[in-house]
Amino acid sequence: MRRTGAWRAAMAVIALAAVSVEASPPTKIALTGGRIVPVVGPEIEKGTILIEHGKITAVGASVELPFDAMEVDVSGKVLFPGLVNAHDWQGLDIPNENLDIGAALDVYDAIDPSRLFFENSLRDGVTTVHIIQANNCVIGGISRVVRPIGLDVDEMTVKPRAAVKISASPKGGYDRMAQWAILREAFAELADYRERLAEQRYEEEQKKLKKDVDVGPAEARKRGAELIRPQDYDDAHANLHELSQGRLDAWVYVGAATDVGPAVKFAKENGFFERVVFVLGPDTFKAVDELKVAGRPVVLDVNLDFRERDPLTGKLSETFVPKVIADAGLTFAMLPHPDASLAERYLTYQAARCIREGVARETALAAITINPAKMLGLGDALGSLEIGKAGNVVVYGGDPLDFNTWVEQVYIDGILAYDRAKDVRIRRLLEEPGAEEKPKEPAGDSAASDPAHQGDKPEAGSGASDPAKPENKEESKPDSPAPPPPSPEPGDDDASVERASDRADRAESRRRKDNAKSKGGPDA
Amino acid sequence: MIRQQARGKTRRVGTVALVGALALLTGVARAEEPPKLAFVVGKVLVMDKADTVINNAVVLVSGGRIEKVGKASDVAIPQGYRRIDMPRHWIVPGFVDCHNHTAGSLSDLNDMVYLTNPGLDTLNTVQPESDDMWMARAGGVTTVLLIPGSGTNISGFGTISKTAGQSVSDVVVRSPGSIKVAQAGNPERYWWGVGRMFMNFNTRQTLEKAQAYHEAWEKFERGEATEKPAFDPIFDGFRGLFRKEFVASVHTQIYQVVMTTVDMLARKMDLRTVLDHSEFDGWKVAPLIREALAAGRSIYTIQGPRAYHLDGTQRKIHGNAARWWQAGNPLLGINTDAPVVAQEQLPFQAAMGCYYGWVPYEGIKGLTRIPAEALLLDDQIGTIEAGKQAEFGVWTGDPLDTRSACEMTVIGGRIVYDANVRRRW
Repeated sequence: MRRTGAWRAAMAVIALAAVSVEASPPTKIALTGGRIVPVVGPEIEKGTILIEHGKITAVGASVELPFDAMEVDVSGKVLFPGLVNAHDWQGLDIPNENLDIGAALDVYDAIDPSRLFFENSLRDGVTTVHIIQANNCVIGGISRVVRPIGLDVDEMTVKPRAAVKISASPKGGYDRMAQWAILREAFAELADYRERLAEQRYEEEQKKLKKDVDVGPAEARKRGAELIRPQDYDDAHANLHELSQGRLDAWVYVGAATDVGPAVKFAKENGFFERVVFVLGPDTFKAVDELKVAGRPVVLDVNLDFRERDPLTGKLSETFVPKVIADAGLTFAMLPHPDASLAERYLTYQAARCIREGVARETALAAITINPAKMLGLGDALGSLEIGKAGNVVVYGGDPLDFNTWVEQVYIDGILAYDRAKDVRIRRLLEEPGAEEKPKEPAGDSAASDPAHQGDKPEAGSGASDPAKPENKEESKPDSPAPPPPSPEPGDDDASVERASDRADRAESRRRKDNAKSKGGPDA
Repeated sequence: MIRQQARGKTRRVGTVALVGALALLTGVARAEEPPKLAFVVGKVLVMDKADTVINNAVVLVSGGRIEKVGKASDVAIPQGYRRIDMPRHWIVPGFVDCHNHTAGSLSDLNDMVYLTNPGLDTLNTVQPESDDMWMARAGGVTTVLLIPGSGTNISGFGTISKTAGQSVSDVVVRSPGSIKVAQAGNPERYWWGVGRMFMNFNTRQTLEKAQAYHEAWEKFERGEATEKPAFDPIFDGFRGLFRKEFVASVHTQIYQVVMTTVDMLARKMDLRTVLDHSEFDGWKVAPLIREALAAGRSIYTIQGPRAYHLDGTQRKIHGNAARWWQAGNPLLGINTDAPVVAQEQLPFQAAMGCYYGWVPYEGIKGLTRIPAEALLLDDQIGTIEAGKQAEFGVWTGDPLDTRSACEMTVIGGRIVYDANVRRRW
């Protein structure tokens, strides 16, 4: 069995999920006094967002609050719509199944709510994630839009059956001819299956009417076409059939510029062009004219700038892809980098880079919020701070695109899903070991006699950074270093752990009470 | 030995013939009636729902069943009973292991033809009177569920088997006793490697096919359909599963996998579900299990063989059984996954669970009544009550105390292990 870091890290996200969902949030919340950046519509310098029963019911400079709304003062903060991660496989166990035509597969069966990925999404202000198979496929399967909270996939789900994943670029081990041959065959086989199904249905109906099948197969297929009911399609064909009827979205990976033309043609031939979103590779932007003619929305590669060296002159050129796409007037979404150690991991960083490169601020902001929402068919439900939309609000400490800004709180459907003040991992990463233990310690100079710790972390816990004890620095002698930090016991101060076992603890105490009441056995 | 046929079960012709032939060959030895026995002991852990404990007790056994249990002062020993005086010993119900591979031949553990292999049956691998089974009963383990390995998502039917008996028909209690499902965490290695998206799709599809087969037959048998469905030897064995006559015993562990088992098998298909292993952070699924139990679903958690989970991120050790228990999962038992942990070490597994924070009395319950309920055997075994099968161990003390030894084991009213005759411990 696999035992990745994510397994071991699984605890806290369950915790977040558990606490956010079971803690039955107040049904009406008013976030007041913050600067509102609604993405759609003008900014409000100081305003209020009212969320009732999970949905935004008022946004404005002055909002009359219902008597029963819980008011949260966010003065000095910035309210921003929850970010939308347009395309990610990371909530799954593996990126792609080892199968060419996986049209029957659904990410539902592989989404793991305990993945650290979901916890990180919350931490980065992402409230909506489109979980979709990665690009190493022919037909990858069915995707799903989820929120990064919930104990199981149903609880996480925002939109099931969001799209079919298709790759127009060769999967590992294939070339383009093989890839397209398999894709064509999948739809040709669907057509053939439909014919046979029609014939079968006609025969069934004739039998039901106690009539003979008195026509040839060609005629029977013609007559049987209307007799096919949706439930007649088997698992292998049902989704492709829906797709071919334009009743399902398709997210098509076009990994290179050369794949755009065939992908557009194929989508048109098979009836889903009006529902296609193109997922671009690093250099696909070079087909920007074709993409412009197609006019379908696009999702950009995680690497926003494309570098290449002229093989003859050796000259290095660099293209900032969002600028090209924005100038072409295409609706686009940007993705966070899957490597959590890179700045590109933050959608806000991606948007900020756009501004540096001359993309309009509203275009950049839309590319991480409302645009992906629209691509997922959720443009009316999320992606901006507007009345009637989901109460997905990120409370930033400053401007969302300022890289010194922290995500302070995240509300999802009105549920406080993330609170930086309670984020144990952040605390453990950024604070000095034992810093939060300090107030419990005796006066700084009591432990100063230990020479073994001379020079160790001279600022640890005492001094100007600790407002609780401003006098410490003056009192401690120059040759008296601060006491050694207590050895970190993350298990003990781990609020996420406490939250994780929250339900368990409550259940246990209930159980103990019940046992004490009911059990007269040897353990009582 | 009493052979219970699963209620209303249709059996395949081949296996009936096999069992029948074996029964004929060895049936003569079992002709004599089980003896009449009177145990005079210091303590009886009844393990009933009232958590009864009887000190200085007498247990009368006749005809293979428990005739009477009570305080020595209340129960007179009639004429003709062999009196067994063990005044300092404890009688504890025979232990039930829901996850065993050693009651059959280990070379037939996994037949990995397809990713789901619904036609296979461990009945064809049962090996009565092996050394392993002798060890099992010497350790107070009296009933085991022999299941195939977890190499594929559905690897065949399990067989509930006694740990004593001369022939297959002697030892087999119920066949099929379960269907073995491995949700994930091993079948990944099939072929070039598969992921959960495909595995779960495939598992669900196989079970749905079996369900459709069952429903077609039900419809026909109720007279609602005129056309007799075609007999399918692969799916016919599943009918008992959907009639809830036997369980799905599921190799499942790790949060997402346990979550999927609860969702797919218990919640959506409403199968009687036994979660085996249930290790790592699987215990965090407990809230979902509580909800499902409240909604009338049947989920037993038979934890093991790993007693604890070392969580590297938290730098904490979690006792698996303890965490399940604390999270409010009331139907909790223990398994060995023998030969991973030797079959006779079942009580030691429970002791380890308690070492890491579980409750000792619950630990004994998790070896007796809970697994008996889980396998739908609770009308026959699992407690020391009049009318039930005489199936218990006579212990020198608390069976979860590692220093204690089983001195005598009774199955079907017969003494099948007696330390005075041939001592193991």
